[in-house]
Amino acid sequence: MSAAIQHYQSEFERVAPLLPWRDSAPWHAWRQSGWSRFAEQGFPSTRHEEWKYTSVAVLEKLALSCTPVVPETMAWALLKEKSVLPDASHRLVFVDGVYQPKLSSVGELPSGLRMGAISDQSARDSIRLQGLLEQAQRRTPFAALNAAFMTEGAWVTADVGVHLDEPLLIMYVATKGRRAMHVVNAYEAAAESTFAVVEQYLGMTDEPYLVNEVTGVTLEQGAKITHVKIQQEGPRSYHIAALQALQKRESRFDSHSFALSGALGRNDIESALVEPGAAVSMRGLYRVAGRELQDFHTTIRHDSPDCSSDECFKGVLNDSGRAVFNGKIRVAPDAQHTISQQTNHNLLLSDQAEVDTKPQLEIFADDVKCSHGATVGQLDEEQWFYLRSRGLSSEHARTLLIEAFALDIVTGIEHPVLRSALESLLRSTAHV
Amino acid sequence: MLIIKDLHASVGDKPILNGINLEIKAGEIHAIMGPNGSGKSTLSNVLAGRENATVTSGSVLYQGKDLLALAIEERARQGIFLAFQYPVEIPGVGNVYLLKAALNAQRKHRGLPELDALDFLALVKDKMKLMEMNESMLYRSVNEGFSGGEKKRNEILQMAVLEPKLAILDETDSGLDIDALKIVANGVNSLRAEDRAMILVTHYQRLLDYIKPDFVHVLVGGKIVRSGGPELAHELEKQGYAWISDEGTGVAEVQPKS
Repeated sequence: MSAAIQHYQSEFERVAPLLPWRDSAPWHAWRQSGWSRFAEQGFPSTRHEEWKYTSVAVLEKLALSCTPVVPETMAWALLKEKSVLPDASHRLVFVDGVYQPKLSSVGELPSGLRMGAISDQSARDSIRLQGLLEQAQRRTPFAALNAAFMTEGAWVTADVGVHLDEPLLIMYVATKGRRAMHVVNAYEAAAESTFAVVEQYLGMTDEPYLVNEVTGVTLEQGAKITHVKIQQEGPRSYHIAALQALQKRESRFDSHSFALSGALGRNDIESALVEPGAAVSMRGLYRVAGRELQDFHTTIRHDSPDCSSDECFKGVLNDSGRAVFNGKIRVAPDAQHTISQQTNHNLLLSDQAEVDTKPQLEIFADDVKCSHGATVGQLDEEQWFYLRSRGLSSEHARTLLIEAFALDIVTGIEHPVLRSALESLLRSTAHV
Repeated sequence: MLIIKDLHASVGDKPILNGINLEIKAGEIHAIMGPNGSGKSTLSNVLAGRENATVTSGSVLYQGKDLLALAIEERARQGIFLAFQYPVEIPGVGNVYLLKAALNAQRKHRGLPELDALDFLALVKDKMKLMEMNESMLYRSVNEGFSGGEKKRNEILQMAVLEPKLAILDETDSGLDIDALKIVANGVNSLRAEDRAMILVTHYQRLLDYIKPDFVHVLVGGKIVRSGGPELAHELEKQGYAWISDEGTGVAEVQPKS
């Protein structure tokens, strides 16, 4: 057993009595099983195809503490100014992996819609979480570690036909270094229900830490979830996440990822379209500078006929920044009339920046429309000259072109409040 | 306003301009005509500062200053405007945003306060009427999805808003039908002023029926081989560029396209 695994083993023994539902036998078994999967696999190395371009060797050596500690008191005003939705009426706030009722405000939700911290659930009610998270927690070794340690997270459920237009806000704030936070999110939309949820991850420490996150999403017939995830992690942070969505008939899942900062980010996102007529839109933007790395591994499974998927990821890479995009589309033999589109566009702003992009199409049906395309390019000299020839400074012209490239990714967001909030966030956080 | 002396320039290793001499005074309109490949566009680009052409010798004085020493945006702020032969599409940058940023960059350079949103819109809408442009074009991305005629009109709209001292119109007539040509010419004519000079770069005489030049120069093989008044353009239209090329310039015979 490696030193790293030994470290987490002793952490696991130490924190087990502190974790939620510690007296529940099914949860005890669940955590043990997660731990065994992790201990068996260990940290992935670059010899694993899925981790070829993303080394977690430094993270492995960090020996981070997994003990939940009560964070120092914080004022909402401080977070509000950093929040993407400062005026959200429904929000959950977690600091250093611990739920903060005083910073949160669930507000008045429509009847049939529930939002809360998972630790507020009784052991009996919480068992249903296992079904929601099971697939996701099996995706990667980190997700298995999450199953063993999961301490907190958000749970949103909408009953049949319930609609909420205003987006729900979930903030995860890291203030202490040398710690690993294992959090989960679970979203359930019953038939014909609709809601939008924004997860914002904020790093407020320059020390290293790990956010190890797992999200499970279920959409019943005709349901619609808009999911926005924003990573604004600290300069020495690790953010590793797995999301698994399950989509039933005619459901729609809109996923928007923004990886804006952090030393290393890795997202495994998968949606399975298991009944006819389901649609998924998977979009994302990664921005790297310095020596940052962002890695997106996405999978869309067309398991049923007449489903559609629309995927677009864009990257802006500066300095020695690196990015990985691996987009897998699998069309099952009987998934006829699949419509699937995938693009990945990258803007390289320096000679040292690097992106590894790989479309991975596995199509076993014959009556389908599938397309994919990837580009890696630099700023367009003609456009730059044009703007400068009108009197704009070379810096202004450059910023404008980079912004135009990046902001294009939010034009697909139908929700006007969300769209403009994200636009201003992207403008205000541009570090190139 | 502009004095070009013995200007030589290359694109890559290829010499394109081979000793241009030209003097332009405020209030004048000069047409520069010539066959394809004669160096007309390179001359426009050198004046605007595009970096793909390299000046190998000669000088350009603009308002008494060394123009070639100025950065692209500096030239623009000091009143040089290039209307592009092929206006560039810039998805994601709003037309109105560019107009406002350009105008304010130039106003700042002249020590004037920035225009507020209302005054700016009033100014732009006024100029749009002149160019017979629909206001909705303001809120589209720069030139994105514009027709050929719309792009050229948009160039002249920018010129009308920026009010340059020296405007260089590079093949502004190309790709325009007769109605669009009239609108563009109208716009240009309305900008004629005693303190403003213009260079019309064109292959055909057609544009000069609508915008009357004071001088016409014929560029062949990177040199001005003949200068004259508007009548020179008519002569060219009748006889073709071969007529001048034949006169011992050593340049291969080139016919203008009809």
